[in-house]
Amino acid sequence: MSYYDIDAILTDAEKIPCTFELDVPDLGYLDNNPTAPLKSGTQLQLPLWLAEMLALQSAGDEGKSFVSIELPPPLSDEVVQALKADPRAVALRDQSAHFYNLATRMLDLFEEKELVEVLRKTFAVRAAEIALHARKGAAGSEEKASNLGVGGAGEEFLRGLDEWERKLFRKAHDGAKAGKEWMDGVKKH
Amino acid sequence: MALSLPPGLTHSEVAFLCEMELVTVVPRQRLESIPLLRGKTPALRPPHRADLPLWLALLLKKQRRANIVPPPWLHPASLAELIHRETKVDPEKFSAPPPTPSRARYNLPGLAHRANDDERQIFSPPFLPSCTAAAPAGYLPYHWLEMAETLLAHAADDMPVPAGEIRGLLRDLVEVRAAKMRAGIGSAGLGGDGFLEMTGVGAVELAESRGFVLGVVDGVRKIGASAEASRREEELEAGDREDDDDDEDMGI
Repeated sequence: MSYYDIDAILTDAEKIPCTFELDVPDLGYLDNNPTAPLKSGTQLQLPLWLAEMLALQSAGDEGKSFVSIELPPPLSDEVVQALKADPRAVALRDQSAHFYNLATRMLDLFEEKELVEVLRKTFAVRAAEIALHARKGAAGSEEKASNLGVGGAGEEFLRGLDEWERKLFRKAHDGAKAGKEWMDGVKKH
Repeated sequence: MALSLPPGLTHSEVAFLCEMELVTVVPRQRLESIPLLRGKTPALRPPHRADLPLWLALLLKKQRRANIVPPPWLHPASLAELIHRETKVDPEKFSAPPPTPSRARYNLPGLAHRANDDERQIFSPPFLPSCTAAAPAGYLPYHWLEMAETLLAHAADDMPVPAGEIRGLLRDLVEVRAAKMRAGIGSAGLGGDGFLEMTGVGAVELAESRGFVLGVVDGVRKIGASAEASRREEELEAGDREDDDDDEDMGI
């Protein structure tokens, strides 16, 4: 992951549900209550970079961490069940534009063997679908194929692609397009 | 940032490499042998066939000084058989690449051997005569698609049947194999054995799907990275424990 990777930076800003384990003075403004200290047990949405830092740091003598974190809504049980049922029917972009990036970051923190399997299956099944659409897009008119929102039946599916999948679509589409251009060019020489 | 060129060869580069393949021509005029980097070309004597690199054959074809003999695997019957094999007989795999030239040795009857006992002969893809008239039918060589396209574009009148018919069969074959590649990469990502056998995939097909396949493989790797790391740690711990046991067994 590059330092300049814009997707990694944006993933850092995704909100993660956290519960504070300790009383923290002077942090009350996070809970819209600047005068009081932040009580333990308060539930807050913190950006991933901060939540990760606070969850991994231990404070005090007992070695308790500041916050305990939970899986964010895009990786909630309902979404995972829907992915298990049919990976192609879920619009991942509606869950999070950086769904897989977020998922891999969370998997670094949580040990969820089942979630890994579900995600891998989702990615593979959707990748095959993406390749199909990319090839169709390349075969169609150039104007349609040049932007991501290819018209027709696959539009709904393509709108639901997250950033990883969009890159994948672009790669597959570039390959198919280069092939088509080359085939048209053979006759000219 | 580094110059971001996609990895691997592009279509036109692959097609350029394909021009080094040998094809069989029937010359119409005499031509003395030409010393080239890869060796001398055979002298052309009109009724006799000769094997020339594709680029030279195309040059002579354009000057109407030779006719190109299409390779046997480009014959419609061979292509139809390939399509049948890819769809019905073995819908999982790509059809096999042409076998290595082999011959029986006189002192070991019944056993075929690779025919490169002779040190001067090299049998790697660009030098393997897989597109000459002597090539076996029913096998697709590495450069099949670009060879077929080039021959159809420049030597359509040398084909045994109208070029349109061959072109239609080629389109079918390309579609069948592209669908197979898509299905294969999907199932390869599903875990389990998790691999896709790509023996017999041609150079142009590789150039076309390289970016996509690499993207999928990279994605699956990233998703599994944390699970993989924890699995390695477990293995390492298990390994340490085993080592301790060994020491105890030895009674030190």
